[in-house]
Amino acid sequence: MPKLTINDRTVEVEAGTNLIEAGIKVGVQIPHYCYHPRLSVVGQCRMCLVEISQGGKKMPKLQAACSTPAGESMEVRTDTPEVREAQKGMKEFFLINHPLDCPICDQAGECGLQDYSFKHGVAFSRFQYEDKRTYPGRERIPLGPTVLLNMNRCIQCTRCVRFTHEVAKTGELGFFNRGARTEIGTFPGKELNNPLSTCVVDICPVGALTSTRFRFAERVFYLDKKPSICTGCDVGCNITVEHRRGDVKRYKPRFNPDVNDYWMCDYGRSTYERYKTLPRLRTCKVRKDGAESLTGWKEALDTVQTRLAAVDGKGGGKVHFLGSGFLTNEEAWLAAKLAGLVNAGTSVQVDVGAGWTIPNLKGGLTGRELAPNRRGAEMMGLKGAAGATSSDTPDVLVVLDSDFGKDAWDPAAVERLRKAAFLVVVGWADSPLAKAADVALPVATHTEKDGTFVNLEWRAQRFNAAFPAPPQVRTTVELLADLLSRFDAQWSGLTPGAVFDRIAAEVPELAGLQWSTLPASGISLKVETPMPPQGPLTAQTPQETAL
Amino acid sequence: MAAMTAFEPVLTRNVRNPEALTLDGYRKSGGYEALAKALKMEPGEVIEEVKKSGLRGRGGAGFPAGLKWSFIPQKDPNQPRYLVCNADESEPGTFKDRLLMEYDPHQLIEGCAICCWAVRAATCYIYIRGEYTKAAAILEQALKDAYEGGILGDSVMQSGFKLNMYVHRGAGAYICGEETGMLESLEGKRGQPRVKPPFPAVVGAFGSPTVINNVETLCNVPHIINRGADWFKGIGTDERNTGPKLYAISGHVERPGTYEHPIGITFREMLDAAGGMWRGGDLSTLKAFIPGGASAPILPASMIDIKMDFDTVAKAGSMLGSAAVIVMDNTVCMVRSVARLAKFFNHESCGQCTPCREGTNWMEMILKRIEHGEGREGDAMLLKSVAGNVGGNSLCALGDAAVGPVKSLVERFSDEIDAHISGRGCPFPQVRYFNDGV
Repeated sequence: MPKLTINDRTVEVEAGTNLIEAGIKVGVQIPHYCYHPRLSVVGQCRMCLVEISQGGKKMPKLQAACSTPAGESMEVRTDTPEVREAQKGMKEFFLINHPLDCPICDQAGECGLQDYSFKHGVAFSRFQYEDKRTYPGRERIPLGPTVLLNMNRCIQCTRCVRFTHEVAKTGELGFFNRGARTEIGTFPGKELNNPLSTCVVDICPVGALTSTRFRFAERVFYLDKKPSICTGCDVGCNITVEHRRGDVKRYKPRFNPDVNDYWMCDYGRSTYERYKTLPRLRTCKVRKDGAESLTGWKEALDTVQTRLAAVDGKGGGKVHFLGSGFLTNEEAWLAAKLAGLVNAGTSVQVDVGAGWTIPNLKGGLTGRELAPNRRGAEMMGLKGAAGATSSDTPDVLVVLDSDFGKDAWDPAAVERLRKAAFLVVVGWADSPLAKAADVALPVATHTEKDGTFVNLEWRAQRFNAAFPAPPQVRTTVELLADLLSRFDAQWSGLTPGAVFDRIAAEVPELAGLQWSTLPASGISLKVETPMPPQGPLTAQTPQETAL
Repeated sequence: MAAMTAFEPVLTRNVRNPEALTLDGYRKSGGYEALAKALKMEPGEVIEEVKKSGLRGRGGAGFPAGLKWSFIPQKDPNQPRYLVCNADESEPGTFKDRLLMEYDPHQLIEGCAICCWAVRAATCYIYIRGEYTKAAAILEQALKDAYEGGILGDSVMQSGFKLNMYVHRGAGAYICGEETGMLESLEGKRGQPRVKPPFPAVVGAFGSPTVINNVETLCNVPHIINRGADWFKGIGTDERNTGPKLYAISGHVERPGTYEHPIGITFREMLDAAGGMWRGGDLSTLKAFIPGGASAPILPASMIDIKMDFDTVAKAGSMLGSAAVIVMDNTVCMVRSVARLAKFFNHESCGQCTPCREGTNWMEMILKRIEHGEGREGDAMLLKSVAGNVGGNSLCALGDAAVGPVKSLVERFSDEIDAHISGRGCPFPQVRYFNDGV
């Protein structure tokens, strides 16, 4: 455990820790481009040069902080004139051949070159009488289906190259040519096409690599960023929902070493698009005399309440609640309570895909279910065999969260579910299933509501609404609390937080937890069978089965 | 001159003896006796002897060879260790190793074998510059003879010591002469330097401890073992600069070529030995000289009496480097020649680290601008500042090498820069030997 000082702040770190990491521990930011905690150290951007003295003896040269392990009684300085001069020099070198096209660059606003220019650079250019190096014809090269390369903006940090070799382990990218003509590219006959490919855009410190999905979608400084959880599969990657006034522009991975580390898959990144491309259910619909009509919430819920009260399971007919893996724990628990009141059968349906691995320090997590919370929903009491609806046709079928998968969009499946005498569909999408329903109730998407999910490792993770739901659209918790309170007044006016705290008092796995103190990185639940058997695998890839 | 005439060539003793190319011929001149002697010594004793001799690396940095060998961890007997002989001689002006390999290949093989015994390495690679086809062919033949003669293979001279030696040809990159760049290239990767630490002595070729020595360094080893460290120390200027040294002299001299002198000979003596300035010019036509290859800062004619050893040249603000001496007479435009050197370093920069990739390119552009009459007031300061940002900040020594000539131009020949800028062009008559690309 070497003990050292960085800018006079003392820090003790584990042997082998480099100076950048040691600096972060005591709040000293050492600027860097090529260093990334999960990639091999190459020490080539030379931005992290620091002055080191040991035993009163100053090292003759400045040292790269990324490749220097912390040593006992080292004195590291990042603020001496020599270091500042070197940082200025490096900044100048980065910029002399950079096109400075920030006004049309997607990276502007989250660009390493901009940030360090303000902090460490100079405000004028000495590169005035020479021509900039350019890579004609390599301004917008598609490296693969998801990533575009603008070689003129590249600062040759090789983070992307190392990512494909060391994390994705696909190795499509390489470093070609030499000297000032050095460039990034794909090896002949290869394209950057792996499940994690868009991560290279995240780790690119400049605008050289841009995402085809996000390209020119929005200036990043106009984006509101809210932490959330990806709903693409049951890994439950921690993400940031980035939107402008409720229009989601992209998902980005949020660091969580226990789940997704720094990474996220391309499929997960694409899942926000379904909220934009699929038709949205915006108003309650009730079928009267065979014809669909728009109604208000009161009338719609009255209809549902009447039907549920009529078929209370005591000879008045069977009720079934079909939940999905997209339900939050709070929603699933309330739905289970409601089902209990009306003696309904319950089940949870999820789609299953081939799955791929999100790498992390423990080897990675492989998501196979295409919904984030099948385990949580079942834990909350929505148990029962999946597909139970196909065999017995209930008199009242309540389908919760209609975006649960292909069934809502598959005519055959809709016809099967429609066999119920009375079909209630709760969901955000105006799917064929919602169109076929007797009552369709519009609810919030996961970017518009609060809740918790339980991932495949039984980690409970909380997320919050990034923006409010549209008018006339309620969250599922509001809706279920309203319905429940019509049977029992104690349920009125519940928030997801209050529901969670009630769950914690009742469900043993969540005992002792509190909504307000759930850590941002989630918490591992104590479950007797830590890894449940995975569902049957189909040959389909998630992209094929996904909406 | 007395010292010089008394000096009997050591490394180049077989150059005029074509028999030395064959195993028998080499043995006739006392070859492989040192290896036999070394094999009877403990490896540690060999290292001690080399340490005592004060032999410093002849590749450029002048690091003590024996000390380098002693860094190789010896605890785990099963761990593979390697010797890589750096024969990637590509510094402009340097052609000394080529001579050793083309005329006395067995001397190198013997030196490599002794080094391998000393550090207990079972494999040796001779990484030879790709353009040295003749030397590579000669070395290959010599290796074949050595295997057949029982010098190499499963039991080196019946000692039971197993040693395999290979010639590995480079593909034409200056940067692969940098030791870690060479290792990358040897492993089949893109030739670019590695970040240090870890040093090659700990993690080198294929992740194992590796010694990397220059051809000339290794060629000295058999003589040290044969004649003893004290004999070796007797040659040279002082304790820290010992032994014979090859000087490759080129440029405006009467007889350019490789000369063997005791280390520490003055530049004036060396020039005399090479026949003086070319075309009968006297010493007053000497303008400047580069003492140690393209990367060494240029010294002015006034330093003609400098002792050409590691420490003295370093004290004068340059470096002995590979001891490739380039002589320039007063027809030479310093701006143009430095621009040509800058072009070389820009072309050979691997592009990995920022200061070298961007800085060498920029320096070339500025120098060309000045040479072609587009220089501006303040360009000298700009050059100095850019060179300052490259030097010392780059990943490997190529960045430092690239700024050597530029810095010396600004510091010692700034009047020429000024003449270019004020005269809007080069004041020297254009002498084109070939298209130098400037």
